[in-house]
Amino acid sequence: MNWMKRTSSRFILVIVSIIASTVLGVSTLARQTDSVSILMPAPFADATAELVRSFNKEHKGRIHLDVIRGPLETESISDLAISSLLLGDTPFDGLLMDVTWVAKYAKAGWLAPLDAYFTDQDFASLAPGANEGNHAEGALQRWPLTSDLGLLYWRTDLMDEPPRTPKQLETISSRLQNSGQVPFGYVWQGRQYEGLSCVFLEMIDGFGGEWYEPQSGAIGLDGPAGIAAATWLQDLIATGISPRAVTNYSESESLQSFKSGNSAFMRNWPYAWAELQKDDSPVKGKVGITTMVAESNQPPAATIGSWGLSLLQGSHHPQSTIEAIKYLTNEQSQRYLFTNFGYTPTQAALYKDEQLTNAYPSLVAIGEALPYARPRPQTPLYAQMSDVLQRNLSSTLTGLTPPPAAMKQAQDTTEQVLIAAGATP
Amino acid sequence: MTTLLLLLLPSMLFMAGVFALPLARYLWLSFHADSVMTGLVAIPNDGANWNRFLNDLRYWQDLGQTLRFAVASVTLELLLGLAIALLLNQPQRGRALIRTTSLIPWALPTTVMALGWRWIFNTPYGPVNRLFESVFGHSLNALGEPSLAWLTTVYADVWKTTPFVALILLAGLQTIPSDLYEAARLEGAGALTCLKKITLPLLLPYLGLALMFRMAQAFGVFDLIQVMTGGGPASSTESIALYAYWNALRFLDFGYSATIMIGSFIILTMMVAIAWVVIATARRRSVVGAPS
Amino acid sequence: MKMNRSIIPLLIIWSLAPLVWQLYTSFCTDQALVMPFAEHAQRWTLAHYQSVLNSDPPFLNYLFNSLFAGVLSTLLTLILALPASYSLSKLNQRTATLIKALLIGCALFPYVLLFLALLEVARFLQLGNSLIALSIPYAALSQPLAVLLLTNAFADLPTELEDAARVEGLTLLQRFRWILLPLIAPAIASTSILVFLFSWNEYPIALTWISDSSKLTLPVAMARIAGSSIHSVPYGPYAAATVLGSIPLILLVMAFQKPIVSGLTSGAVKG
Repeated sequence: MNWMKRTSSRFILVIVSIIASTVLGVSTLARQTDSVSILMPAPFADATAELVRSFNKEHKGRIHLDVIRGPLETESISDLAISSLLLGDTPFDGLLMDVTWVAKYAKAGWLAPLDAYFTDQDFASLAPGANEGNHAEGALQRWPLTSDLGLLYWRTDLMDEPPRTPKQLETISSRLQNSGQVPFGYVWQGRQYEGLSCVFLEMIDGFGGEWYEPQSGAIGLDGPAGIAAATWLQDLIATGISPRAVTNYSESESLQSFKSGNSAFMRNWPYAWAELQKDDSPVKGKVGITTMVAESNQPPAATIGSWGLSLLQGSHHPQSTIEAIKYLTNEQSQRYLFTNFGYTPTQAALYKDEQLTNAYPSLVAIGEALPYARPRPQTPLYAQMSDVLQRNLSSTLTGLTPPPAAMKQAQDTTEQVLIAAGATP
Repeated sequence: MTTLLLLLLPSMLFMAGVFALPLARYLWLSFHADSVMTGLVAIPNDGANWNRFLNDLRYWQDLGQTLRFAVASVTLELLLGLAIALLLNQPQRGRALIRTTSLIPWALPTTVMALGWRWIFNTPYGPVNRLFESVFGHSLNALGEPSLAWLTTVYADVWKTTPFVALILLAGLQTIPSDLYEAARLEGAGALTCLKKITLPLLLPYLGLALMFRMAQAFGVFDLIQVMTGGGPASSTESIALYAYWNALRFLDFGYSATIMIGSFIILTMMVAIAWVVIATARRRSVVGAPS
Repeated sequence: MKMNRSIIPLLIIWSLAPLVWQLYTSFCTDQALVMPFAEHAQRWTLAHYQSVLNSDPPFLNYLFNSLFAGVLSTLLTLILALPASYSLSKLNQRTATLIKALLIGCALFPYVLLFLALLEVARFLQLGNSLIALSIPYAALSQPLAVLLLTNAFADLPTELEDAARVEGLTLLQRFRWILLPLIAPAIASTSILVFLFSWNEYPIALTWISDSSKLTLPVAMARIAGSSIHSVPYGPYAAATVLGSIPLILLVMAFQKPIVSGLTSGAVKG
């Protein structure tokens, strides 16, 4: 028996040492660097390069963050992300998402809910408006990195005060145009693309309407406000306040026109401010920022165009990805992104930072506009709805269809899309 | 016999996998809701896709635009191609040079030149607009006007394909025995009569073939439109293939995208069948008219 | 035939003018592009080429990817199509005609309509983001053309040749290798070049099957250059990319214009 005992104890020893070595092996594996990758549009990838470097330095040996540089246009990066996700072998863990994708991606089941990773305190630190558009399917789906919103740029050398109503904008423009001070009054985004939907959202809200209300399913496109908004935009072109070519303008063309001093007003995002203050800018120091015009009994509206980071379902390193997301969106990173690249912060503290607001007066104006931030319809069908709207608006702006008919068409087609998708409540 | 069939099998299986299987899958999908709203799971929906398809004004507008593109570009390609082929149908020097230069536009990837066209038709900096401005004094908004943008896509397609069509027709011309012309000339027929009585009837099968192939290809136009105009302005250049693509990859509605594709396939098949009957009749008549 | 002589330069100008304009654009500085008639301190530049060649991943990478996918698809196409077309040329008339009609139907089909189903295939079989896998749909889509062209070539061979070889005791494989293939080499050459061109240029399937930027083929990479700069559309780099992307094909067409034309025309004449 004794020898048996001895062999068995030796046997146990062997087993224990095997187990021990496996466990140790596992733990050394666990100590290997987590490789995390996030897909971003080119400008964001370039802007965060420095942050990524310092993140990797701080987390050396634990996490290695890799930013994949995608195409620039929102549409093309969405196409790329979707085709990667459809192929099922997502080569990345995180995704920098536009506000309009959240509902769709969440419904498709591509995003991992983030509720467990963020505390009430985290939410409390967000600026008003920055919390819009991050939830879908009853869960937190992304964490905001930058809070873009649509603003009205005006020339401080041509008028004392910016217009508050659509009528005032027309009057001031006509006066300036008639006296030959500027060739055009107002430039905006009239091309058939997402920017046109943003322009329209601000106007339909400004006229007291609502594009789409997901809860009730009400569509307000051919309501009085919808028709008024479309008519107003079309009139701008018809009366020459906006150039005819505005029907092919995106942000860059509008900026080009306004920057060269060719127009008195421009609708654009906060990024334009830095561009207008450059030394080669003829309007340097002559530009003010305010919210979009609205009927006098209505609050103004500023379309949210924010970007935020999401964790993809099926990521191998969720915890490390969240660490990267938190790092890229913290106060310090946002300060860096704002001062170096003009990306509007989402942390409330930065708007109250006197050092920042003194150096960047535009931040104050943006902070004032934030409470009026309005999301575009938050539905998985947003892409279709926006496409329908753009199509019909473009048709009105190029003079093919009168505004009421175009909005009726937009209303009917939107209804069809919703019914076909089974989304009518 | 069994060996022969066995040799044929792998190729046929591959083709079935890439042609028959997708069509069967589309047919099945077209009776299901499979979209972001169903969590990308297929659920039977009682032909709702087909109902939507038939009432989808946008699809029919896109079909109209696609056919407009196809008819305009193929007609121009055939006419120009025929003219060039007739003029080239003589022994001459520099044949290799002509062949090479004609083949280059056809051989280049469509997307490569589509970007080029965007620049060439750019307003205000492209050469076409500059030329137009210097002649007419005002600018040409070629890619921004719905009435003009589709013509630029036709031009791009004609540029790419005409020399190629000319080469095909040239090959057809060279099969016509020259003694036919000599006999006709002896009977006192002029050049125009020869063209009408000999060349065109004998070339008809080639024209028909080129027509059918080019029409089918133009029906599926995608690369050129997606890169050059993205379907705009005011969706005036959107083709059915692009609409199906948006539905799948942008709207995540696979059921409806599949319906569009199988529906378009049916429409195309009907058109090809009609064309086939017309060509077959023409061919029979030409064989009766002049045996070769 | 005065017309005849003047049409040739016209044809050449028609075909090459847009390419020449791209060539010119690719060497111009951005300022020279916007104001072509003004005086510029610097009119010519190589910056666009530098930016395209030094991009991440480098442009030459795309050329290599396209080359790889093209060669692989061509080989796979031939492996499938050669036995099939031999068999088709030997089958009885009625079966052969039926199959040929089917092949013509497939060749006519605008294959872009297949992309969604093929995307699903890629998803279920995990074939996405692989250039090797990409050659499978390419070879399958090339079958109609390849089989039709090669069947014509096999049918043109005198049957006595093969009969004699059979009497000599050569097996099917030997006959194939030593007698038939050498005889139809010209047809194989033109088929290969056409299939290669198709694979090199293919867009919709590559667009949906490949999302990893280091594996993109040339046409998709070109389309993606469209959205890569913030404030203006990068026409200079575009043009440089057009030129770089065209050179290999122009060389190819110059070297192989004869087999290309004979492939195209024999397809048309006998199809």
